[in-house]
Formats: sequence, structure tokens, C-alpha cells
Amino acid sequence: MRNLDSEVYEVFAQSDSLSPHVHVFNVQASSPEMALVLAEENFFRRAEFVSLWVVRRDHIHHLGFGDRDGFKKTAKPYRTTDDYKYLRDKWRYYREHPMNPDADRTSTQGGHEHDFTRD
Amino acid sequence: MSQQPLISDREAYFLERLDRGDRIEADDWMPEEYRRQLVRLISIHAVSEIMGALPEKEWVPRAPTLYRKLAITAKVQDEVGHGQLLIRVAEDLMRPWGKTRDDIMEDLFAGRLKYHNVFHMATPTWADAGIIGWLVDGAAVITQGMSLSCSYAPYARALQRIVEEEGFHIQHGESICLALAEGTPMQRAMLQDALTRWWPALLMFFGPPEKSELSTNQLRNLRYRIRSKTNEELRQRFFSKYVHRIRSLGLQIPDRTLAQDAVTKEWHYQQPDWDLFRQIVNNHGPRSQERLGLRRTTYEEGAWVRRMAAQASSV
Repeated sequence: MRNLDSEVYEVFAQSDSLSPHVHVFNVQASSPEMALVLAEENFFRRAEFVSLWVVRRDHIHHLGFGDRDGFKKTAKPYRTTDDYKYLRDKWRYYREHPMNPDADRTSTQGGHEHDFTRD
Repeated sequence: MSQQPLISDREAYFLERLDRGDRIEADDWMPEEYRRQLVRLISIHAVSEIMGALPEKEWVPRAPTLYRKLAITAKVQDEVGHGQLLIRVAEDLMRPWGKTRDDIMEDLFAGRLKYHNVFHMATPTWADAGIIGWLVDGAAVITQGMSLSCSYAPYARALQRIVEEEGFHIQHGESICLALAEGTPMQRAMLQDALTRWWPALLMFFGPPEKSELSTNQLRNLRYRIRSKTNEELRQRFFSKYVHRIRSLGLQIPDRTLAQDAVTKEWHYQQPDWDLFRQIVNNHGPRSQERLGLRRTTYEEGAWVRRMAAQASSV
């Protein structure tokens, strides 16, 4: 029986040297050299690339194909900047109203409400 | 009599590529000096990320709230991850020398490989953790932002990932510092003390000023497009970005001479003690030996894990 996977090459290309290699599509070929020729002819008649990779499909190892839902992460706001959006307004406020080093905080903060619950 | 050419044709072509804006990949031909400069720069960066996790790690068990504990844990984890990324970049460059990450760690322990001055310093209060996130990472992003244009593509690609995560670290630090600045007089005093403690180290972070002449190393790295700005240019950018923000919180910068020239926009400042800087980076800083010791012990105690992991790959 023919091992189809050993004749299928997944194609990855890099559009510029700072970008990652991105999966393009795949080709069926008898050798890596042939796969490169076919990939260039099939996918890059117009678009430019700086690097082209072909990888035999059976050389690619997959993670958890059976359970794609398992890839979804639980919310982790403490790992992102989502909870820090309020900072921009604060910096703007203090640029226009610099804090007085000697003033009593509790009295100067009156009317200016912020989320202090983190600490 | 044949005359030795100053540079080979291959090197001339290499420099031409750099001038065209080409970026170099790991398997491209490169002058040995280019490789050496990159290995030095990237190894220092890698071990600085790894050693840089230690000062803040001290605050993971003592963070004031559960939220802060999760956030600082995430940050420490990121820093170690950055170290892993950079070690891979360095390892690919060291391959022709037959060297690996083991050599990087051995060089670190033996004092042959330095790590950034800031990570030799003590972190006695929670405000120190805040200042590290806000200003030390802020300073680091100024340097790394420049290095995004580095001619060595694998390093530039690693930095894109790193700088993105540093954006989170800086805001994490800003959030801590703003909360303290808006807090009780005691919290404000703690923040002021931390700033006073860190200020000279922050200025040292960019390295000694060039004055009128650049070192051979710097000239070479500029020519190789490994870096595009001098130490002093980066420090000036740090002042422009942070001095007014620090002052807007009513904090005192411990330098009465600090001022910006109205015309040239250049910042004048009190030079930190550069002899002290050299002592610190040669592992004679306040916490150098403790942190190196911790890293060494962890490395030795983790030997069996590395051994098991290496065997697992051959099963």
C-alpha cells in the first residue's frame, strides 16, 4: 500500500525575515526537491517570499487532534494587559494634576474615583 | 609581494548585504567576529532574563493580594521563558564551536559571562517589585526596541515576542507603583525609597556614556548593524520617557542636577559611580553571590530532571 503521507509535503513560507513561517497549503510530490518546485509553482506565481519550507506530513507531530476544545484556555486576565486599561487615564490625569509630594492623599483624592481594589 | 586585503570578498559581500537591509540567518555565512559579538550579546541577554527572574521571585510568596501574586508569578514565568528563547538563538550560533547551553551556564557560574547590573540589586520591599516592572523593564524595552532592527534575524524575531510580553510587565509595574503612590503616607514613602535605591542602577543599565569616542566593540556592532544607538542615546531616551511621569507622582528623583536643556533637549545628570558599576557586574554587587549561588544549586539539583528529559526523547 502506498504511504500517502510520505508523499504529501506541507508548505510553509515566510513573507519577510521578521515574520514567522506560515502554513500555506500542501503538495503531493515524490521528493523534497520536487515538493519545493511544486510549492513555488503552485503558491508563488505572484506573491513573494524570503524563505520556503516543505515538511513531509508524517514528520509533523500533532497535539491533541481529538479534542480541539482542550486548546481553549481559561481566562487569565492577570497575564494580559486587559485589566490595566485604566492606567492610561490615570497617567493623563496626573500629567495634568501632578501629585504634591507632601500632601495628604486621602484629602486630595476627593471626588476622583478610581479602582483601588487591587491592593 | 602580495598585500593582505583588509577584508575578504566574502566579508565585503556580507557588509553589502547588511547595507541593503538584508537580515542574516543562522546558516548564512558570517564573519567570525560577527558571530562572536552576537553570541556575547545574546548570552548576556539570556542569562540576564534568567537571573532577572530571581529578584522578583522573592516577592511571589509575599505579594499583597492574590491578584498580585498571580500577576507577578506570570511575569517571573515570562522572564524565564525569554531566557529559554534566547538560549536557543545563542545555541544555534555556537553550533560551529561545538558549544551548548551547558557552556552558557558554566560561564555564568564561573564569572566569565556577566548579567545586567540591575539584577545584582536587593529587593527589600514590595515597591522594589513595582519599580522593577515599571522602570527596569521600561529601560529594557528601550534597549530591546532598538535591537528589533538587529541585522541577525533570529534575534530580532525572538525580541518581537519578548517585547510584546514586556508590555504586560511594564503595565503590571505601573499598576503597582500607581497604587502605592495613591496609597497611605507609608506606602508613598516605600515607593520613594525604592526609587531612590534604584535610580543609579537604572542609569548604569545603559552602560557608560561614550563621551566623544566610541569603543572598538561599539563601532563594530554599529557597523554590523547589531545595534543602532549608543548607550548615551538610549539613556537620554529613558529620561525623556520617564522623568516627567516619575515627577507627576510627586516622587523626587535623587539627582538635583537633573535637567533638560531647553534648546538641545539633552538631559544633564549626575553620573552614577562607574567604578561601582564594574564591581557590580563582576559579581560583587549586593546580592550577586546569593543569586548566583541559588542558580547554581538549582542547576545542580535539577541535573536529574535534565537527564530524564534527555532519555525520554529517545524512547
